[in-house]
Amino acid sequence: MKENAASRVVFILLLFLSVSLLNGQSPPEKPKLVKCRSPGKETFTCWWEPGADGGLPTNYTLTYHKEGETLIHECPDYKTGGPNSCYFSKKHTSIWKMYVITVNAINQMGISSSDPLYVHVTYIVEPEPPANLTLELKHPEDRKPYLWIKWSPPTMTDVKSGWFIIQYEIRLKPEKATDWETHFTLKQTQLKIFNLYPGQKYLVQIRCKPDHGYWSEWSPESSIQIPNDFPVKDTSMWIFVAILSAVICLIMVWAVALKGYSMVTCILPPVPGPKIKGFDVHLLEKGKSEELLRALESQDFPPTSDCEDLLMEFIEVDDCEDQQLMPRPSKEHTEQGVKPMHLDLDSDSGRGSCDSPSLLSEKCDEPQAHPSKFHTPEGPEKLENPETNLTCLQAPQSTSVEGKIPYFLANGPKSSTWPFPQPPSLYSPRYSYHNIADVCELALGMAGTTATSLDQTDQHALKASKTIETGREGKATKQRESEGCSSKPDQDTVWPRPQDKTPLISAKPLEYVEIHKVSQDGVLALFPKQNEKFGAPEASKEYSKVSRVTDSNILVLVPDPQAQNLTLLEEPAKKAPPALP
Amino acid sequence: MDSKGSSQKAGSRLLLLLVVSNLLLCQGVVSTPVCPNGPGNCQVSLRDLFDRAVMVSHYIHDLSSEMFNEFDKRYAQGKGFITMALNSCHTSSLPTPEDKEQAQQTHHEVLMSLILGLLRSWNDPLYHLVTEVRGMKGAPDAILSRAIEIEEENKRLLEGMEMIFGQVIPGAKETEPYPVWSGLPSLQTKDEDARYSAFYNLLHCLRRDSSKIDTYLKLLNCRIIYNNNC
Repeated sequence: MKENAASRVVFILLLFLSVSLLNGQSPPEKPKLVKCRSPGKETFTCWWEPGADGGLPTNYTLTYHKEGETLIHECPDYKTGGPNSCYFSKKHTSIWKMYVITVNAINQMGISSSDPLYVHVTYIVEPEPPANLTLELKHPEDRKPYLWIKWSPPTMTDVKSGWFIIQYEIRLKPEKATDWETHFTLKQTQLKIFNLYPGQKYLVQIRCKPDHGYWSEWSPESSIQIPNDFPVKDTSMWIFVAILSAVICLIMVWAVALKGYSMVTCILPPVPGPKIKGFDVHLLEKGKSEELLRALESQDFPPTSDCEDLLMEFIEVDDCEDQQLMPRPSKEHTEQGVKPMHLDLDSDSGRGSCDSPSLLSEKCDEPQAHPSKFHTPEGPEKLENPETNLTCLQAPQSTSVEGKIPYFLANGPKSSTWPFPQPPSLYSPRYSYHNIADVCELALGMAGTTATSLDQTDQHALKASKTIETGREGKATKQRESEGCSSKPDQDTVWPRPQDKTPLISAKPLEYVEIHKVSQDGVLALFPKQNEKFGAPEASKEYSKVSRVTDSNILVLVPDPQAQNLTLLEEPAKKAPPALP
Repeated sequence: MDSKGSSQKAGSRLLLLLVVSNLLLCQGVVSTPVCPNGPGNCQVSLRDLFDRAVMVSHYIHDLSSEMFNEFDKRYAQGKGFITMALNSCHTSSLPTPEDKEQAQQTHHEVLMSLILGLLRSWNDPLYHLVTEVRGMKGAPDAILSRAIEIEEENKRLLEGMEMIFGQVIPGAKETEPYPVWSGLPSLQTKDEDARYSAFYNLLHCLRRDSSKIDTYLKLLNCRIIYNNNC
């Protein structure tokens, strides 16, 4: 029986279930808490989502309990927050306590509870958007126009006391633009916007955020129309342009100043200062004499090559000692204006050597020096003249010659100076003129050549100091003199050829020749100098006739009988007294 | 004893800081009723002290929130640690105001001493937190770096608060009892879940207390410096 009752109850229940199921009724589904938010950290609101109600009217209740409390409370306000919400007022809100909130769905069939939500008010702060957003265009005098945006803090936020710390974000854009221009502010409730485009419609939005929490929603768009005549004078652009142009001008001026100098130098090139090639003025300034001299030296000083050429051109000097007395044709060319009388008798004359020190200074100074003219009794001074030429005079007979006669050697083609060829020892300063006889004697003595024994003959070798524009210098070297002194076969030589008299010893020493007189015709009459040694003077003979010119440019004079007679006749009285004892 | 000595040392350091800041930031004296002896006696600007303190407390709260979120994301998903985090903070014994009205009715002296107590009570837990997070296997650098930063900033804020306290309430006694943290064993337990739960609790409490300090300071700042006209 009992079993029958139990089974009957079950059967009825199942019948009811089936009936209800057929009707579509069931306990409600579990609701779900969506979110809880606190707008000002003073209150908060929770929202839930109801599930399926099961076909029956369902009531939702929210229950909660706080951390540290066991008492379960029910939601104080279901209405303020809207449907399916629970609003917790200030007195029900504790900031730093955890809330455990549950929503229950109850219907006839059953109760469903949601999962608990652990809420901490501090972390669910999300303010409302700022309120009272106003836009205003301002045109202040002497200043740029701007858009003035104003707003006020959102509701339910206590900013003044410092409980709620807030910051704002404003964004604006022209209506048709896509990108927003954003600005941030802290605490300020106004903003000034410059640089607006005239004739545009601007949209403005604002939102805010607490110091720790969520951003609010954007406020509704606020729009403003910028009038077309909105004076947006962007003076900053002009200022920038002005500065840029000034900078460019400065750069150009600077470039011109730099290049202008070079331009000026191109147009008017500066006069170059005097410069010595290879010479550094700074060395002079520094006073480094050594370097200076070195610099100078490097300039081919002394000019050896040129001098050499000159020397080679005009002078050939040979050493008498080692060489045979061979006639050597003179290599030097003769200058213009050489007298036909000039013959290259002196073969070795003119061959100079640049190594000779005495030669150098005189040679290089006057390479083109002409041979000295015939000197009158002022001859000895001419001897200093480097141009003078020694002539080897051989005067076997001494005739008294008044005055002093310079003795010259015939010049070579070169008129270059020829110093006294012989070593100074040969030059006896006692005499006012060269003692050619001594010279020749010495030369002959040293060389061992034959001395002229012209004394024995009536031929005298005299060299007149005629101006011979030969330009050739003769060096009274031993060789030359010996040549001159020695006999040699010469053509057209006035020189007597005492070939048979080549023996060295001269019976009679050479003597000076004195100019006796100059005849009316301008003929020079020469007498051998009286030699006291030889006792009684011989009959003076007047040598005024040129016999020949030797190779060494020695004039050979012979007594002119005609003239002699004349002179004898002319001056018998003159001569006679001295002659007669 | 330890706190006394450390506070004296910190006080001398603060004096030096005061002198230096006076030289650098002489902005004049804020005419607030807080300086009882008149404007001439407040050497360092209270405004600057408050500004600095607010900045630091804000920073600490940001760091704490980030650190908690990191930990929650990595270690506490689906574990229900939060259920066990209720009533787990060692500073809950402090009578801190729980809403705005209560906070506004609390005298600034009380508020300041509460702040000081909170700051002091967190010195030790922060130190251990750094040590234990370092030892935690696979601890992300985000958590560790923030823990280290928070520990430093906490000390800095404590110094600043003590200076402000000295200025606002001259002659007030320094030594106030503060809650002592005793959660070290739970941080070092071998049970991983228990350990992570302990970490979770600690980070949760840190986040909350840093929020409290931040809010109280900002409230005091507006009240004292700006006369409730922020």
